[in-house]
Amino acid sequence: MKETIQTLFITSLIIMTFSSCEKPNQTDLTINFTHTVDAEELTTNSMIYSNSAGENYDVRTLKYLISDITLHAENGNEIILSDIHFIDISEESTFSFTVEDFPNNNYTSISYKMGLDTIKNTNNLHINESYHSAMVWPETNGGGYHYMKLEGAYNNDSTFYNTHTGGTMGGDYSFNNVDNISLTIDDDLGDVSININMEINNWYNSPNQIDFSSYGMGIMMNMMMQMDIKMNGITDVFSVDIICTK
Amino acid sequence: MKQLICYLLATILLLSCKKEGCTDDNALNYNPEAEVNNGSCQYYDVTPYTIITPSGFPDMIIPENNPTTLEGIALGEKLFNDPILSSNNTLSCVDCHIKNSSFSDPNQLSIGIDGFLGNRNASTLINLGWNSSFNWDGSAKTLEEQAFEPVTNTLEMHNTWENVENTLNSNSEYLSLFKQSFNINYIDSVHIVKAIAQYERSLVSANSKFDKFYRGEESLTLSELNGYAIYNSEQGDCFHCHGTLLFTDNLFHNNGLDSEEPFADIGLAEVSNNPLDNGKFKTPTLRNIEYSAPYMHDGRFATLEEVVTHYNEGGHYSSTVDPLMKKLGIGLQLTNQDLADLVNFLKTLSDKEYISEK
Ligand code: HEC
Ligand code: HEC
Repeated sequence: MKETIQTLFITSLIIMTFSSCEKPNQTDLTINFTHTVDAEELTTNSMIYSNSAGENYDVRTLKYLISDITLHAENGNEIILSDIHFIDISEESTFSFTVEDFPNNNYTSISYKMGLDTIKNTNNLHINESYHSAMVWPETNGGGYHYMKLEGAYNNDSTFYNTHTGGTMGGDYSFNNVDNISLTIDDDLGDVSININMEINNWYNSPNQIDFSSYGMGIMMNMMMQMDIKMNGITDVFSVDIICTK
Repeated sequence: MKQLICYLLATILLLSCKKEGCTDDNALNYNPEAEVNNGSCQYYDVTPYTIITPSGFPDMIIPENNPTTLEGIALGEKLFNDPILSSNNTLSCVDCHIKNSSFSDPNQLSIGIDGFLGNRNASTLINLGWNSSFNWDGSAKTLEEQAFEPVTNTLEMHNTWENVENTLNSNSEYLSLFKQSFNINYIDSVHIVKAIAQYERSLVSANSKFDKFYRGEESLTLSELNGYAIYNSEQGDCFHCHGTLLFTDNLFHNNGLDSEEPFADIGLAEVSNNPLDNGKFKTPTLRNIEYSAPYMHDGRFATLEEVVTHYNEGGHYSSTVDPLMKKLGIGLQLTNQDLADLVNFLKTLSDKEYISEK
C-alpha cells in the first residue's frame, strides 16, 4: 500500500515536471474570412461600388458556405480544418474559427471549396445546423443548399439584385480553390492566421461580364449563369494570405 | 493516518447527534424536525414526454431546466384556458389565441380585459418549439420569457404576478397540480410560465395535405402544384422567407407593406435599436394560414387573396425593404389563375386535426 502511494506520488511529480518544462509552444491556427470590393474592405448598405457593366451597387446581404478547408503538408499529410463553414456578413461570430494546438509540419498549400459538392449538398442533410433555414435551396429546383446569397440594390435604392448560387436542377457548381503557401509550424512559430478573402466585385467582371439589369432578378433556375459565375469565381474571387502574430 | 481516522469518527459522532430525515420541504415526506438529510426524500414521479420531431423538421431545442412532462403539459393547458391569470378573472390566453383559428385571433386587434385594443394581431400558435424568437418584433427569446408578458400587459390580462401567485396558492387544485408537476409547495411565476411553455411546445402540426404530399401519401391537384411551383421558385419567391417545412426562416424582414416612414410600428428596431431594422417583422409560419386570418402584424389583410395581391404588386418601397422583394415596382406579374393557384397551395398547409377538439 505504502509503496504504491509512493510510486504514484513520484510518477505524478515526474509528469508535472515534464509538462511544465518541456511542453512545446503551441500554435493556434485561425482562419479569417474577409471581404473586399476593389481591394477595399467591404462597407455594407452603401452604394459606393460599381461593376464592369457600369452599374452602381451596394451589398446588403452576404451569406455563403465554404467546405473542405484543408491544409496540405510537404510530407503528404492533410488536415481538414472545417468540413463546412457558414459565413454571414451580419454575424461577426461567423467571420473566423480557430483550431488550437495545430500540429507542427511544413504546410505547402491550402484548399477550400466554394459551396458544397454533390455529396454534401443533399436535402435536409444539415438540418440541425444554424444555416439550414437561411441557406436551404428548393427541392423543386434540385434541393440541397444555396452556396451563396449576395444581395443588394443597384442603380437606385429600389431596384434589387439577388445573386444566389447553388445546385440548379441538381447540378454541381461548387469549385475548389488551391493556394500555395509556405507555412512552417514549429515550436517557435507562435499563433498564425490565414485570411481567405472574397473579392466581391470579381464575381461580376471576368471572364464573364454580368450585369444586374439582365440577371438581378434571379439566376436560381439559370444553369448558364451558374456556370458563368462559377468561372468568374474560379478566376479571381478568392485569395489567401498568412499572418504570423509572433 | 491515525489522525484522519480520529477526525472521521468525530464527524460521524457529531452527525449522529442531529436528527435525520428528509430536509427538503418540497418532498412528500418532508420532516420539519430533521436536521440531516439522510437521502430518504420522496417526490412525485413525473412522466417524461418526448415531443416527436416530424421528419424533415430540425430537433426542437428544449431548455434544460424545463423538461417536458405529461403533468406539466396538462397543467400548462389548464392555465392557458383559465381566466384565473387575468386580474378580473375574465380573459384567458385562449380567448385571444382561439383554437378554431389555429390559436390566433380572428379580430384584427385583440381586446384586453379593460376593453382596450392592442396594436398587433394575435399570432397563430403552431410549432412554437422550433421558433428562435417570439412576438412580431422578436422581443422574447424563449416561450418561458414570452409567457411572462401577456399576464401583466395592461392591454391584455392586466394583472400582477404577485396577485396571480396569491390567487393560485389559495387554490387547492392548482396547489396539488403544481406539486405533481414540479414537486413544489409554493406556486411561483417561474413555474407558471414553465408549465405554459411545456404545453405550447406540445402544439405540433405536421399533418396537413402538403405534409401528406411530401411524404408521398397524397397528391396535389394541378392548381395546387402550380401554386407550389410559384411559391418554391424565384417566380413567387415565397420560399426565401417562408421556407423549409416550418414555412418560416425564423428571421426578420420588411416585406414592403408600407412606404411611409417613420413606420407606425417599427417592429424589430424596437428590440435591436438599429434603424436599419425599422419595419422588419418576424416571418410568420404559413402553416394553417387558411384558419389564422386576418394577416400581417397589424391584421391589415382580411383574406389570402389580399395577401397574394400585395406580393403580386411587388410591394411598396421604403428604405429598409428587403432586397428579396426584387420585383418592387414591377410586380410578380402572375395571372389571375396563378394567384388562385398560389392561394390553393397555401390552403394545402391546413391541418384540420390540429384545430379540432381532441
Ligand atoms: C388580449 C389578447 C391576448 C391574450 C389574452 C394573450 N395573447 Fe398572446 N398574443 C397576443 C398578441 C396581440 C400577440 C402578438 C404580440 C406582439 O407581437 O407584440 C401575441 C403573441 C403571443 C405569442 C408569440 C407567438 C409567436 O409566434 O411569436 C405567444 C407564444 C403567446 N402570445 C402566448 C400567449 C399566452 C401563453 C397567453 C396567456 C398567458 C397569451 N398569449 C394571452 C394577444 C394575446
Ligand atoms: C422578404 C421576405 C418575404 C417574402 C419574399 C415573402 N414573405 Fe410573406 N411575410 C414576410 C414577413 C416578414 C411577414 C410578416 C410581415 C408583417 O406582418 O409586417 C409575412 C407575412 C405573410 C403572410 C401573413 C401571415 C400571417 O400570419 O399574418 C402571408 C400569408 C404571406 N406572408 C405569404 C407570402 C407569400 C404567398 C409569398 C410569396 C408570394 C411571400 N409571403 C413572400 C416575409 C416574406
